[in-house]
Parts: sequence; C-alpha cells; structure tokens
Amino acid sequence: MSSTIYKNKLPLLVFLVPAFLMMGLFLYYPFVMNFFNSFSNISGLGTAAKGLNDPWYANYIRLFSDPNMRTAIKNSLFLMLMTIVFQVGIALVLAIFVDMIQKGAQFFRTVYFFPIVISATALGLLFNLIYLYDGGMLNQLLQKVFGFTQNIDWKDQDHFMATMLTPVMWQYVGFYFVILVTGLNNIPQEIYEAASLDGAGTWQRTRFISLPLLRNVLCTCLVLAITGALKVFDLPWVMMGAGIPMDESWLTGTYMYNQTFLRSDVDYGSTIAVLIVVLGVVISQIANKIFREKEY
Amino acid sequence: MKKSLVLSLVLLMLLSAFSSVLAEEITVVTSYGGDDGNRVNFEAAVKAYEAATGNKVNDESATSNEEWKAKILTDFETGAEPDVLFFFNGVDSNPLVEAGKVVSVDEIRAVYPDYASNMKDSMLGASPVDGKNYSIPVNGYWEGLFVNKTVLAAAGVEVPGADYTWEQFLLDCQKIKDAGYTPIAVSLQEVPHYWFEFTVFNHGSVANHLDLPASSTDEVGQKWVAGLEDIKTLYDSGFLPANTLTATDAETFQLMAEDKAAFAIDGSWKIGWFQSTVADINDYTVTYIPGNGDRAATDIIGGLSMGYYIPRKAWDVPEKQKAAVDFIALMSSDDVVSTFGATAVTALKNGTTPPADADALVNAALEMTKGSTGIAPAVQDKLSSEARADLFANIKNIVTGKITAAEAIDAAIALN
Repeated sequence: MSSTIYKNKLPLLVFLVPAFLMMGLFLYYPFVMNFFNSFSNISGLGTAAKGLNDPWYANYIRLFSDPNMRTAIKNSLFLMLMTIVFQVGIALVLAIFVDMIQKGAQFFRTVYFFPIVISATALGLLFNLIYLYDGGMLNQLLQKVFGFTQNIDWKDQDHFMATMLTPVMWQYVGFYFVILVTGLNNIPQEIYEAASLDGAGTWQRTRFISLPLLRNVLCTCLVLAITGALKVFDLPWVMMGAGIPMDESWLTGTYMYNQTFLRSDVDYGSTIAVLIVVLGVVISQIANKIFREKEY
Repeated sequence: MKKSLVLSLVLLMLLSAFSSVLAEEITVVTSYGGDDGNRVNFEAAVKAYEAATGNKVNDESATSNEEWKAKILTDFETGAEPDVLFFFNGVDSNPLVEAGKVVSVDEIRAVYPDYASNMKDSMLGASPVDGKNYSIPVNGYWEGLFVNKTVLAAAGVEVPGADYTWEQFLLDCQKIKDAGYTPIAVSLQEVPHYWFEFTVFNHGSVANHLDLPASSTDEVGQKWVAGLEDIKTLYDSGFLPANTLTATDAETFQLMAEDKAAFAIDGSWKIGWFQSTVADINDYTVTYIPGNGDRAATDIIGGLSMGYYIPRKAWDVPEKQKAAVDFIALMSSDDVVSTFGATAVTALKNGTTPPADADALVNAALEMTKGSTGIAPAVQDKLSSEARADLFANIKNIVTGKITAAEAIDAAIALN
C-alpha cells in the first residue's frame, strides 16, 4: 500500500476546520467583541454602543477603584484556596479510605459522586431551605436539640462565607474523589504486597506508596479545582443573590452578571469579563507550573 | 376493507394537517408567571382564547422584576421579541417606542376599528416618548397596607383607618415590637420599593409626587432624603425583621402568614398570595398607609402601569396580526378584566364587576379604593432601570449608615 495516504492532510482538515470555525465564531469573536465593548458606552444588553467611553479606558480605572470588585476578587481567591483544601483535600482522604476497604467501594463511589448530578440551582434552593432564618432546618435543629433560644441569620456578615462555601465544597468533593480513587486503583497491588512483606504499616504504605504514585493525578485535580473555582456562579447566585449581605459575598462571576443583566451596565460587565479571563489565564499558568506532572 | 381504512387514515391526516395550517401559534410574554396572584386567571383566559380561536399560545410569562425587564428589552434588540407583550407603559417602554418596535393603538384601529373600544382612551397609559397610546391595560394596581389582625389584637393595637398618621403608626409599631412581634414585614435587600414610594409620598402630595429631583439638595431631592431617612428610622427602631438585609421578599412575607408580623405594604396583585397562602383570610385586611403632612392616608399610589403591546414584527405578518389582536381583545374584554382585578383602578368604560363571592380581603380593598381621596402613580416608574436598581441597592447602605440618603440619590440621578 502506498504511504501517500499518510501525506494526504485533507481528511484532517475536514475534521479540524469546522471545530476551528465554531470556536472562532462562538468563543474568540465574542471575546474580541467583549474586549472592544469594555471601552464602549453601552447602557442595555443588545443595545448599540453610544461611542467610546471618555476616557476610553474609564472602565478599567473604575475596576480598580470599585470596592465591590475588590470584594469579588478577594472572595474568588479565597474560594480557590478553600477548593484546594476542602474539595481536593476531603476527596483525597475519602479516596484513600475507600481504596482500603474490600467491600462496598462501589457503593461509596456512587454516594459521594451523586451531588454532581444534581443541578446547582436545585442545590442552591435546597440549601436555602436548610439555612432559612425562620423555620429553617439548621435553626430548628439548634433550637430543638441544642437548646438555642434565638434564630441565627446564616447569611449575615458573620456567617455568610461558610454558608456560601459549604454547598460549593460539598457538591464537587465527589468529582475529585472519583478521579483520585481511579488513580489509586491503577497503582499495582504488588507494590503494596512487597511493602507489607517488608513490614510497612497502613500509614507508611499511604505515605510512601499511594501519595507519591498519585502525584500526577493529584496535580490534575488541583489544576482543575483552581481553574474551576474561578467559574463558580450558579450556586452562589441562587443562595446569595446580589452580594448578600451588604455586598460582601460577590464573586467575580456573580458581580459581572449583576452589572450586565440587572444594572444594564454592559460595558462595565464586559470589563469585568476581561479581568476574569486574564485572572483565569494567569492563575492556570501558575497552577500548571507549580503542579507540573512528573515523568517516572 | 383495507382500501377504505387507508383512505380514512389519509383523509384524517389531511384534515389534521389542514387544521394545523389554519391555526396560528403566538408567543405571549406577560408578568403573570411564577406565583403571581393572577396566574390562575391568566391561564383560564388563555384556555378560553385557544378554545375560541383554535390558535395555540406559547406562554413565556415570568415574574416581573428588573431581570425580566432587561431580558425583554434584549429580546427586542436581538429580534427575538414575542408576538404579544404585556409590559410597563412608563419609561421602561421608551426603548421599544423610540425604536419603533411596537405598534400604536391608532395604527391598529386603522385596521381594526373596534380595538379596545371598551376602554377609556385617556387611561390607556400614553407613552412618555410621544404621548401616543401603544398598550391596552388590563388590571390597574393600587398599593396598600396589608394587616395581620391576629397580631394587632395580640399587641392591643387597633386596625388602622382612614385618618391614620405616621406618628400613630410609629407608636403602634413600638407596641407590636414590645409584644414580641415583628411590626413590619419587608426585605430591604430585595424589595424596598413600596416603602420608598410611600415614605417619599409622605413628604409631598398627590400634586407633586411625580416630580424627579435634579439633585439631592433641591426641594424634591430633600423630599426624597426625608423619605429615605424615615426608612432608616424604622430600621434603627427595630421595627423590621431581624434579617431584613439578607432575607428574600418571600421569606419576610411568610411572617405575615405565620402570625409573626403585623404590617406589609404591597400591591393589589398580592391579594392572590393571601388567598392561596393564609389559613383564614378573615384574619387579614388591607387599609390606607399612614399619612403625613400634605398627604392624607387616603391618598394612594395606583394606576395603570402595564398593558398589552403588539410588536411590529408580529404586526407585519398578517396571520400573527389577527391572532395577536384577537388575543388582546379577549384579554381586555369586560369579563376577563373583572376577573383579573375587580378591586383595582380600571380603564373600562363600564367599570369592573366585583365577584359575587368576594372574601374579606377583596371587600376591604374595594372599600379602600372607593374611599381614596387622591391617586398618584409610582414615581419610581419614572426612573430608568439603571437608576432605580442603583437607588434600591443602596437602601441597605443608607439604613446601616454606610452612605447618606443624599449620596444615594445623587448616584441614582447621575444614572437616570
């Protein structure tokens, strides 16, 4: 058979060009337009721009002086940190425990993964009922079981962060758990058996075999968690709406949505979107460098 | 036998295809979605229209809020407008009129002379852009003070009447608070709208309520400052729910249903919520909001702020045009309007017919509107959506002292 079939690039192009066009049309063109919009004066979604802002970079000056934007960036970075510690951390601990048991591993996989399949909006509504001030599950529990006499406002300035982050953390633990438990299953059993013969205990097998051989999978999870944290929107939006309490709970995504869709400040919303992209690119590059996979 | 069976089937298919060609499908967007008090009435009217015309209604109604308004304006901008729209007739509709996206009543009457002939033209709600009528109102609205009589009795407070003053109201709120109840059910973080409207109204009169300030320091601006400071007084006095800065409107209203709160201001559309939520409707009433200065308690906020529009895009398609006109004709007929808002302000020449089996709350509303001495539309409807959203988002900052009322007003005016 002639080897020219490998030189004919046409089939490759047939498959690559449509995907490229789709990406160009629905991702890169809107991004370029969004960048342009961030310098324009647009006071309503879908309305034409009324020329450029004066000065044209006005929105970028506002971006750095807007206290709500500072809150949004601070909260998003904090969410990222919590994602690493709690989502990946808890998933790792659960994965190690489940990997150690012989029976019921599949049951736990299903149980821990289940929250992923529930829509974030439904989860938000569910947690809203749990945290409800008057007659909510948590307040009823505290009063009937622990004798509390006053309702706790779980969305006030003292509690809002835990209230917002708990469901976000809880929802995605199962996602990283499944990835990590699959990684653990791929470690050859012979290594553990040899270590046991040499007298290694459970902790030593985990510390010196499981964790080092799981490094690459763990790195992938961390990169996914960090980049995913920047995109969290729906669950916090359903629970905390417009920055409840007192503009304290804004995330970059919720603040952008609020400015664009509720305040009709489309050009400022576009500016926030540009910042989100820049943050996403920079942070994911840093994360990729720190958690680079090792060749064994 | 087989041949006749096949022939019958073919005939049936042809008939079905023919009837579906004749029937028209129209997309309708209204604010009668979600838990709107008139949702049931709207669904019944849609069914009646479908039965009478054979047309199909694709109902895309939702709950009216700032997000809903923004979505509708975007739909028009992007060419995705509905065939019939029920929307505000104040400044919110200006972009639609300015862009020629909706058809005027005069233009419709040139083709359909009887269009909305049962309505008073002077009350249709002329556009602020050119003074022409574009929409046909159905049910007007009023805003009133909903009262939980059980809570008032427990606190030893009389049900407010037509001569109720702001001073008496503050004293009553203190009594209610001392008795262990929440005097006022309101979510300042989500719906401070009604309290803004009435506290500002209380520093003016029917004659000047619709004036907009040019700055916080002019006469109208000072009126607004005083109104917003009244809300701060209510907050500082502990008359609002403990979680008023974090709760939703639905959460705070639940306090009324559970006999935990005494007063709430809302509109005529809230009657449906009371009828479907509370255990005994006789335990509730609606009355005048306490008056102050030149504004008597019997001067109320109300009017006809919304109506049915026919978008230009649907008007230009003959089949859609007829279907849209028929739909609005049914929705604005005397019978249907009476089911939607018998207690409210109406543009009907013959007036509305109150239901024979009216409950205590409906009767109280009828009595209230009948006894009103003056009526003014809501001034907030004269603000652009950007300015309004900014002002209401800042009310939580005013009551907690993060910014002053004057600063909030100036920021909103700058966006108007």
